[in-house]
Amino acid sequence: MAARRVAVTGAGVVSPLGNTLEDFHRSLAAARSGIRRLAPELAGRTGVQVGAALDWDAARHFTQAEAANLDRVSQFALAAAGQAIAASGLDLQAQDRGRIGVSWGTGMGGAHTQEGSYKQVYGAGEWRVRPLTVVMGMNNAAGSNVAVRHGLRGPFANYSTACSSSAMALGEAMRAIAAGRADAMVAGGCEALLTPGVLVAWQALRTLAPADPADPAASCKPFDKRRAGLVLGEGAAAFVLEDEARARARGARIYGVLTGYGNSCDATHMSRPDRDGQIRAMNEALSEARLAPQDVGYINAHGTATAVGDVVEAEAINAVFGAAAREVRVSSTKSLHGHLLGGSGALEFAAALLALEQGILPPTGFLEQPDPACGLRHVAREAERIAPPRAVMSNSFAFGGSNVVLIAERA
Amino acid sequence: MDTLGRIRQLAAKEFSLNPDGLDPNAPLDGLGIDSLTFIEFMFKVEEEFGVSVSDDDLKAIKTLADLERHVAAALAAGKA
Repeated sequence: MAARRVAVTGAGVVSPLGNTLEDFHRSLAAARSGIRRLAPELAGRTGVQVGAALDWDAARHFTQAEAANLDRVSQFALAAAGQAIAASGLDLQAQDRGRIGVSWGTGMGGAHTQEGSYKQVYGAGEWRVRPLTVVMGMNNAAGSNVAVRHGLRGPFANYSTACSSSAMALGEAMRAIAAGRADAMVAGGCEALLTPGVLVAWQALRTLAPADPADPAASCKPFDKRRAGLVLGEGAAAFVLEDEARARARGARIYGVLTGYGNSCDATHMSRPDRDGQIRAMNEALSEARLAPQDVGYINAHGTATAVGDVVEAEAINAVFGAAAREVRVSSTKSLHGHLLGGSGALEFAAALLALEQGILPPTGFLEQPDPACGLRHVAREAERIAPPRAVMSNSFAFGGSNVVLIAERA
Repeated sequence: MDTLGRIRQLAAKEFSLNPDGLDPNAPLDGLGIDSLTFIEFMFKVEEEFGVSVSDDDLKAIKTLADLERHVAAALAAGKA
């Protein structure tokens, strides 16, 4: 029996570019940036100048009592997952929820809770912290909150592989459904680590872009000669993935079919990206999807705007795509929504769906002086409109050497 | 506001309940309050009153009225 195909039947987003999928897509199509100067209370004395923070009012989503017991990252997760489930039209009450699971990804989990606790202990010298610190701060809290809220009793997993976490969550959810271990999965990821303690650690790595002096919103410039590093962001994206036959039988809207998942490890260095590892992940995804490179019309690149990373990814794409690299459009939307780390794979998959469904290719914002070392067919500055492509690819390459590539095809 | 009134206010806020509808003698687990939630609530009660309730005493607290007695005793001990 052929493995079951996996349809995307729901999507939800809370992001620096808007707190619904539609707002996120509208912002991408308009090349609007969500990057801003960081508020002083966020930046502290870290020296970090810009970030992509969410416009977030917890009171619009939760009672005061609920919000008080949910880390910011779990609030994002619940909001995005709630949207995705609502959009899927699945009546969960009528489902066998033992056959529906959660596959989640986050890099740092409840960073606000952890940092708040340490600040109290080491900063204020108060050795008395909230009893909920553990369950609010643990890495799997966000995904578990989604499962608890919706009574999803099927397979559960929480992936924490830095920048590939949520892409891996989608890929593994796809495999769980394909293997018949679940009929549907809520899959996605989130990150909320704009706290002084986290920011100062990133600043120490010297990979963060300073504010563009003329326009802070333009601080992240992937593939541009002037690129100066990444900009950290926060948010979440979630999807309902479902056995395609089942989705079609119930007449669900199908955003796309997730057909390829590549997963490799560089196994060379903790932070320096490796071309071969990325090539292996892209080839695996293409092979699983049984697609040729020319079938892919758009790649949402990892493209963090670091000096080395963008060049290595461009080389890897060229190596995999060969002659087709002249045609396949590539962009890094991190220029607009920032780098959501563990949440980025899921958010960028949502960006790729815009290309897949509508043929609207979100751009690499502010790409005015392409680096010749990053020879790709860029979607630069402004969105491009093409006939909806047969397939799209989304790359997520992480510290620790984890490479995840997802491919979705038109329904 | 008396001790019980303050506890009721805290409980109402913590559990999103109407303070007037809270029966001080009703068992807490009947309000849908699990043990972890109760421990988090106790943390806030201790903060509010500046007292400490021992683990042994905690086990004996089944209602808001029980809680009031323990807080009142702790306050009295603190003053003595």
